Amino acid sequence: MTEDDDRVAYLGGEGGSDLDDLTRADLDDLRDLLADESLWAEPPAGLDDGIVAAIAAEAVTRPARPETPAAPPDPAGSPTVVPLAPRRRQGLRLALSAAAAVAALAVAGIVVSRSGDSADGSVALAATDVLPDASGSASLRRTDSGWRIELDATGLPRRDGGRFYEAWLRNADGVLVSIGTFNEGVDVVLWAGVPPSEFSTLTITEEEADGDPASSGVRVLVGPVELE
Amino acid sequence: MHRTRAKDQHRPGGPEVRCRAVVTAEDLVGFRRGEADGVRAVYRDYGGLVFAVALKALGRRDLAEEATQQTFVKAWRAADAFDPARELGPWLATIARRTSIDIHRREARRPTSPLDDVAPAHPDVVELPVGVERSYEVAEVRAAIDTLPPDEREIVRLQHLEELTQTEVAERLGVPIGTVKSRSFRAHKRLAGLLGHLRDEGSV
Repeated sequence: MTEDDDRVAYLGGEGGSDLDDLTRADLDDLRDLLADESLWAEPPAGLDDGIVAAIAAEAVTRPARPETPAAPPDPAGSPTVVPLAPRRRQGLRLALSAAAAVAALAVAGIVVSRSGDSADGSVALAATDVLPDASGSASLRRTDSGWRIELDATGLPRRDGGRFYEAWLRNADGVLVSIGTFNEGVDVVLWAGVPPSEFSTLTITEEEADGDPASSGVRVLVGPVELE
Repeated sequence: MHRTRAKDQHRPGGPEVRCRAVVTAEDLVGFRRGEADGVRAVYRDYGGLVFAVALKALGRRDLAEEATQQTFVKAWRAADAFDPARELGPWLATIARRTSIDIHRREARRPTSPLDDVAPAHPDVVELPVGVERSYEVAEVRAAIDTLPPDEREIVRLQHLEELTQTEVAERLGVPIGTVKSRSFRAHKRLAGLLGHLRDEGSV
């Protein structure tokens, strides 16, 4: 047996009597790593769905990328995190795919402001895979009290009995601010205390009154705020 | 077709290795565009590695899950800067490690350990996660075992993680002991070749 073979055998748990102490110690460290539970751990099923959904949601609001490499972006900012509580993974599995989201945005149509010329901004809301037939728009108006947002959406089945829709504004760092909850998407008035210039993505999610105030991550409508 | 890691590669002094990763240039383009197929392809080949790094660094599956998700989103954001000639695994492992450190620091600042009550030298404030130092090594070793054929990988797992003897492995898998011995030797030879640089650099 060559020395290399002796090392291999020792790494596999056999032999090694001819190896020097230093070599054995190195191989022992490697064996310790091979016995480390984290080394063999597999991510939970469905995590890829959450990642696809998180990227898709952000891609919807992101300008098209050039095909040639651009200046390196800073990856350090905290991205949007789709909550990963097990009870909600089913919803995540239904969450939008990137292609579907982009396609839906393309056919979402032109925003029709409900406030006419007085609107200070608008949002065209695109459907996701959760409710692919949904669509909607919103108009924003600045007031002394904050931003009044009128939402009108179709294709959202009524949710009650502890279930509801929740509207959010999100900034580039992925910070979500809730701007209201509702049961149906017709003539909804929402109020935001954060500037849409910074919190420039409007998202509607499905929620349950389960004591968890965080977003479920189950997005049904997504769209970028366009300020006048 | 360009692959981020050649299916067959040879490291100096190491064995020829058949890699499991098959992320293609097309997959990378899809990933960069945020397309579901591209994202899933990269995750399929590197999700385990990223999760292992995060779990080693953070020690909690729930936090590792969050770190894995953030890692892939950050990688997508930075994908324009990624050189396709480089290996994807080490790049993702680096992002995973940094992300894990950020999450560790965030957790250390939770109300259970309010900063107002914590001295500047408190370990929660100044220390990195316990496992982060070895997370690089975990990434290297995980990448190596991910190159093994499934049957050899399982034997290595049973031998080291479950601490089974080769006889017990043979009984568990229902294969002759000779088969276990030969597969085990072949697998460990590959690992020794792939990971020899760790020992040479004294990092293990």
